[in-house]
Amino acid sequence: MSKHQLQVETNGSELILTRQFDALRTKVFKAYTSCEHLKHWWGTREWPISYCKIDFRVGGQWHYCLSGPDGMESWGLALYKDIKEPELIVYEDWFADKDGNKNTGFPSTTVRTEFLEKDGKTIIRSTAKYNSPEDLKKVLDMGMETGISETMDKLEEYLAETK
Amino acid sequence: MRRDVFQGIADPTRRAILGRLAQEKLNLTTLTDHYDISRQSVTKHIKILEQCGLVVIEKKGRDRYVSARPEKLIEVVRWAAQYRAFFAERYDRLDEYLKTIE
Repeated sequence: MSKHQLQVETNGSELILTRQFDALRTKVFKAYTSCEHLKHWWGTREWPISYCKIDFRVGGQWHYCLSGPDGMESWGLALYKDIKEPELIVYEDWFADKDGNKNTGFPSTTVRTEFLEKDGKTIIRSTAKYNSPEDLKKVLDMGMETGISETMDKLEEYLAETK
Repeated sequence: MRRDVFQGIADPTRRAILGRLAQEKLNLTTLTDHYDISRQSVTKHIKILEQCGLVVIEKKGRDRYVSARPEKLIEVVRWAAQYRAFFAERYDRLDEYLKTIE
């Protein structure tokens, strides 16, 4: 059976990922709610999840680490802003350290994950959005006036081509 | 010492310095006078930016001029572009995992 394709779209400063799963919505939603589930899939082959602690409720947080090649570590902190089981999870996504401190030097994003049910199957639509224009500006500022906008256009084209 | 471009832009002061240099090449003294923090501290940030390949320092007589090499930032964009493969793999794994649970 062929896999469903991931669709990637950009809309201004938003990155939208969409993919279908042949499973009931309640089950797909559940896979997001505990470390026991997340440890099986949130990481990748090269970047497995090496630490996970979760308090799945509005106001709670999820602290995790992805460990990459050459001992690289990427610590993340998700702060849950809205949860509607089994259809919606919204969290603020921060780069963090191993003690769970946010790295405010990097821009944060708000990730809105919607679970849409269709004929017993589930479509996940995940939208990542920079939390403020200033946040996005942090990344783009120095480049915008000096040619990186061209590179950004290339990225946009690349994302469009590889949809 | 070589550093990567991400270390360069990880610090807010370095991003500010880079933003300023993106507009014009500056004398090191002018640049250090522009910030509230100590000259020594600014110099340290510029040294790190140089090690990241994000700025170059040229000597002209007694003066040193700093200019930005923003093209190095393409590495950030390339890094972000890899995310597509990253997310695709993550969702493939979720797909597989869902088959194994009730």
